[in-house]
Amino acid sequence: MTKSKSSSKFSIVLRLIWRRGEGKFALIVLASWVVVSLVSLVWTPQSLWATDGYHVWAKPSVAHWLGTDGTGADVFSWLMAGARTNLFIAILAVVFAGALGILLMSAMVSRNSALSNVSVVAVDALISIPTVLIALILAVPMGASVAVVIIACGIGYGLNLARIARPQALLAANSDYVGSALSYGASGFSVMLHHILPNAMPTIMVQLSLSAGTAVLAESGLTYLGFGVPSGVPSWGHSLATSVKFINVYPLTVLWPGLIVTIVVVALNVFGDVLRDAIDPVTNPELRRS
Amino acid sequence: MRMPKWKGKFMIVEAKRLGISIAGKSIVSSVDLHIGDGERVGLIGSSGSGKSMISKAMLGLLPTNATAEGSVMLGDTQVIGADETVLASLRGRYVGAVFQNPASSLNPVLIVGKQVELPLKLHYDLDKADRQKRVIAMLEKVGLDEATANKYPSELSGGQQQRVGIATALITSPRLIIADEPTTALDSITQRQIVDLLVTLVDKAGASMLFITHDFSVLARATTRCYVLDDGQVIESGDTADLLDNPQNAQTKKLVGAARELTLQRKQDCDD
Repeated sequence: MTKSKSSSKFSIVLRLIWRRGEGKFALIVLASWVVVSLVSLVWTPQSLWATDGYHVWAKPSVAHWLGTDGTGADVFSWLMAGARTNLFIAILAVVFAGALGILLMSAMVSRNSALSNVSVVAVDALISIPTVLIALILAVPMGASVAVVIIACGIGYGLNLARIARPQALLAANSDYVGSALSYGASGFSVMLHHILPNAMPTIMVQLSLSAGTAVLAESGLTYLGFGVPSGVPSWGHSLATSVKFINVYPLTVLWPGLIVTIVVVALNVFGDVLRDAIDPVTNPELRRS
Repeated sequence: MRMPKWKGKFMIVEAKRLGISIAGKSIVSSVDLHIGDGERVGLIGSSGSGKSMISKAMLGLLPTNATAEGSVMLGDTQVIGADETVLASLRGRYVGAVFQNPASSLNPVLIVGKQVELPLKLHYDLDKADRQKRVIAMLEKVGLDEATANKYPSELSGGQQQRVGIATALITSPRLIIADEPTTALDSITQRQIVDLLVTLVDKAGASMLFITHDFSVLARATTRCYVLDDGQVIESGDTADLLDNPQNAQTKKLVGAARELTLQRKQDCDD
């Protein structure tokens, strides 16, 4: 019964997102991203490691839909395979950032004033460290790896999330309904779970969606700088990094990964906005009736 | 069922020389207050007289920058200086609270059924079906139908929201209800309905009630005995009807006189 109720809520939220033009765009792009990632696990138009020395920097053709790169490898196949790496990074970075951000936000609005004061100061201090610097520090012992991108993004975006969600959480923590919950014996954990988190959730969802987009950008940036995805692992950042030097000669090979990153980041940003509106039961009678 | 830490069957409230200060400023001083088992006692006073602080002290929910001295015994438990775990087991299970503003004291993103269910979930080991049955029965007791359980607070009127507040406070059958100006934000017809509902339910449950208000007509309807608070001190106490008929203290006379003038003025306006 609970399962069908939550699945009906899920379908209502999807419907509410689909109703809006920008929601349609975001859903189509994100669904395509997931599907392409999954398909790439079993099929790509060309083998990733097949190179054709006679057709380097080839223009789009029937055999190579988006052309080939400097080694004669199929650009489309590499972008397809890169989609799954970027999806993996975005999902794990968001999960890590969400867990860290919610934990820190809880500490920042805690009724224990020592804990809240220390966590506010700590977050304010740590947030000044750029994600790139965190990645650089992590890359020293770990080397360039997917884990570096995930951990660096998780820490950076988690701190950001805590700081951005704190005002909303603080508003809930000082509200009459939390006072009422405390009056019937609710513990700090129960107040956080049932009252503060649900009220801060729209802000958290938007921020996590933006973080997913920024993680895609960060992967490209960090891979380009050499601390991100290692050579040989397909990713959009890798495709950009290997072709950007030739932008003046073969602009198309840079255009494709750049275009995909841009479209996905825009879709993620838009998705956050429409999701925030769709999950708010106060403004959605359909959700209330479910 | 989880065994409560406080095993007293009856709830007698005894506050002795209760003093509360916030950031060094005295808000309440030397308040003595007694609520007998099953008694409905009022606490009346002008705004800022310290009424709500006394209720917060009884619940052990004073602001973090407040300090309390003296003693507040709820049954056999000393509230002042008590450990948070003791207070948490007392709150909700043995003491329920109804608040002033029903719109803001309900979580806007949680359906009514869940909000009424939460105290049960915290204090009893019941399965979900049992809890839901009790929630529906409690909603019916406060005059709300089953469908209300699936509504959000924003879909209810002020009176209905306060009924939900009462249901949340009473679902665990507490021995003491602290009603902190529960009718202030409501119109006069709804005020009467809510007061009558609270009185009926509290009497039926055999619980005690501390009713905080600044409205003498509400006080007369809800309580049998009352304390008048002014500037953080009890200036008069006694039988509610006697106190309203024949106030002794100058400040009480002023308060009762002002309330009478207002009632007469209202009557004249209605006659005109």
